[in-house]
Amino acid sequence: MKTIKRYMRLYKVLIVQFFKVIMQSKVDFLMGLFGFFFTQITGILFLYLVFEQIPLLQGWSLEQLIFIYGFAQIPRSIDHLFTDNIWLVAWRLVINGDFDRYMLRPMNVFFQVIAEKLQPDALGELLVGSILVIHSCRKGIVVTDALHIGLFFVSIMAGALIYTSIKLFFASFAFWIKTSGPFLQVAYELADFAKYPTEMYAKGIQFLITWVIPFAFVAYLPASYFLGRGGFFGAGSSNVEVIGIECLIAGLFWCIAYSVFRKGISIYESAGN
Amino acid sequence: MRRKLRIYLPFALNEMKRQMSYKGAFYLFILISTFSSFVSYFLWMAIYGSTDRVMLGGLTKEEMVVYIFMVYVTGSIVSISISDWVSDDVVKGTVAMNLIKPLDYRLSLISRALGCSVYNFFVPSVFIWIGLEIYKVNVLGMPVTGVWNVVLYIISCIMSFLIFVLFDFCVGMIAFFTNYIFGLLMVKEALLKFLTGALIPLSFFPEGVRRVFDFLPFSSMVYTPVMLYLGKYSMAELEFVLARQAIWVVLLYLLGSLIWKRVTTRLVVLGG
Amino acid sequence: MIEVRHVSKEFVSPKKYPGLKGAIKGLFSTEKVVKKAVEDISFTIQDGEIVGYIGSNGAGKSTTIKMMTGIMRPTSGECIVNGINPSAQRKKNAQEIGVVFGQRTQLWWDLPLSESFTILKEIYNVSDKDYTERMKFLNQVLQLDDFFDRPVRTLSLGQRMRADLGAALLHNPRVLYLDEPTIGLDLVVKDNIRAAIKEINEKYQTTVILTTHDIGDIEELCSRIIIIDEGKKIYDGSLEELKDTYGTRRTVSMEIKSPKEIVELDLPGKLGVTEQTCKVAFDEERKVLSVSFDKHKVQVPQVLGAVMELTEVSDIQIQETQLAEIVKEIYNHGLNQADS
Repeated sequence: MKTIKRYMRLYKVLIVQFFKVIMQSKVDFLMGLFGFFFTQITGILFLYLVFEQIPLLQGWSLEQLIFIYGFAQIPRSIDHLFTDNIWLVAWRLVINGDFDRYMLRPMNVFFQVIAEKLQPDALGELLVGSILVIHSCRKGIVVTDALHIGLFFVSIMAGALIYTSIKLFFASFAFWIKTSGPFLQVAYELADFAKYPTEMYAKGIQFLITWVIPFAFVAYLPASYFLGRGGFFGAGSSNVEVIGIECLIAGLFWCIAYSVFRKGISIYESAGN
Repeated sequence: MRRKLRIYLPFALNEMKRQMSYKGAFYLFILISTFSSFVSYFLWMAIYGSTDRVMLGGLTKEEMVVYIFMVYVTGSIVSISISDWVSDDVVKGTVAMNLIKPLDYRLSLISRALGCSVYNFFVPSVFIWIGLEIYKVNVLGMPVTGVWNVVLYIISCIMSFLIFVLFDFCVGMIAFFTNYIFGLLMVKEALLKFLTGALIPLSFFPEGVRRVFDFLPFSSMVYTPVMLYLGKYSMAELEFVLARQAIWVVLLYLLGSLIWKRVTTRLVVLGG
Repeated sequence: MIEVRHVSKEFVSPKKYPGLKGAIKGLFSTEKVVKKAVEDISFTIQDGEIVGYIGSNGAGKSTTIKMMTGIMRPTSGECIVNGINPSAQRKKNAQEIGVVFGQRTQLWWDLPLSESFTILKEIYNVSDKDYTERMKFLNQVLQLDDFFDRPVRTLSLGQRMRADLGAALLHNPRVLYLDEPTIGLDLVVKDNIRAAIKEINEKYQTTVILTTHDIGDIEELCSRIIIIDEGKKIYDGSLEELKDTYGTRRTVSMEIKSPKEIVELDLPGKLGVTEQTCKVAFDEERKVLSVSFDKHKVQVPQVLGAVMELTEVSDIQIQETQLAEIVKEIYNHGLNQADS
């Protein structure tokens, strides 16, 4: 308990510092935010133009697709906001030996890695995601009973953890091969597939993004549950199981990723050799 | 001319060498860069599967497949983001070094971009192009693209390349006036994807919007060469779009010179 | 007390082949290259000692330090620092040590120095009272006040080094590891840093282990030095002993009137020693004849006598071998050849 308190206090100190730095470069921050915001908006415009041509896309309406698209942004942005520094482990920190400094301090290494940086640009994604989800709720296409709302937040957290785990897993390769950025990037970009209904992909890709690198469980599958669409586990299922499996996957992937990270630290060789 | 070639060719060759030195990691990037094309592919297949109409936005399903992958090929050889290099040079303060040397800064950047473009053409675009042609003939049952279209496509691509880099040079100049280029470049990226037709064929836009696009240089960057490749233009249109590309090359060249003159005066007065 | 027991570290890397063909071959080859960075090193350091850990580039200095600090695990053997095994109990060890790497800062680049210290206070769990007291002392020896509110990235190299040293000492560590702490600094700053290290060592009995290429650091600070070469320990003892044993050469420089006669001088022959034992050099411009010889085999009067027989000498200087030269010899040839 005392340790947790100490970590919380330190996290607060670090984050406050971080915001001070951001505030010193406000325009930079706003431009980055706008950049991410704008990038996401083009995705929506694309869907809008497509639906000028067709009424439904494999049974999905424009409004429903917008919800899936928006919902997908939220766990992604939360992970992006809090754990962006993992990217640096993959690209730079291990190969140039800057990882040394985490090893020299009397605190948990993973905590130090993520506490060092917040990625404020992610707020742009979070903003787009939230606006779209709220928009969808007002259109009345989302189921908004207590269970669904509760599970909505559970799903977002589990989704963010899946993102973090996948990032940590691939970033940890750096301890063996020095820089694992390209691998991480490949895995991470697979998330793009999950912004749309997964049925439309070839079987192999469906399997890959559902069970191997399970981005479908972060975005499309829970989103379809919140839209009240069932059937993933055969006719008649309400898809509530999806949220359970999402949590299970999140827990499992986190354990795997964190063990690999721990193993990596133990063989860390620093730089200069 | 030969002297110029001797001076600026090394920029192109160096860039090619630099790209080649990435090796292993680089091939993964190539893999990543095709992801969004495959997402588009499946998405469009689903879209065409959801309607009885044969044509959407003036393209058949088969033509759309060609469109998606030719956008990839075209983009990889045309969209070389030299503004990143400019902002790098500004941040590192190496622009002043470039002013000291008897070099045309813009020309050296474009030479570098050319090296990058040639490299991208061979790794991997030409293979995707050939793969696409094979797929087209064997699976989609379309004829091989005619020599005439390929020639037109290549001529158009050369102009597209020039339009893109000349335009991007102007964007890069913003780096001299603000430190906040990162966000701007991201906006540029997203905007260009949309306006050049890389994300969705411009024919999907409403009539009014398209008329505005006619007066902007962006459609000449990707949309025009790909549509030429698909043989979507009549003889008269063909002359028009090619002439329009040529005009944009000249206009953007002049605009870039003007801005560069302003920037260098400012640099000399204020110091780099 | 620090005990290093038979520590070795091997780095295994896949074998590389040259060229494009080689790159492809490398993909399928499972051949490995094993490089021994540190080989069976043992030593013990008592509390309060200042020990210089020296060796040429790539000798394995940093690797040893990294194993002692817990950054890396030894392939075999173990380090015990104040009863703690750093690689097994990393966090516990980290609380007890301070580390400065001269080449790279451990402070937060964009933050003002004062904020870096606030964060470190939390990380090392330093109480308010200790913090105030500690900062007062650090300010006095390192003059951090001059730049305490400036972001770390704006500090000069000397200021940054003082800041890094201060940061490593905030939690009153029992052991301080310094990896090239004076690299790239000017003479005045070097002196300040050395004085500060000395003061800290005296006041708090902090054990200091320092790697350096700067002989000045060693002469000013270290009572004991450990030299390693190609991963093996080749010397462990006091500075004086090293000088006595290996600093056997002496140089006599004579300014002479008429250089012509000197050409005929065959000093080694005359004294009956080899040319290796007695080296002669002549600077024509300054008309200075330098004779460097082994002081156990040749005496100064012998040299002077031989020269004065031929020509008039207007000025004489006698120099003992500098530590720098001894160390240079050792790096070049290893210890065995250095004393021949």
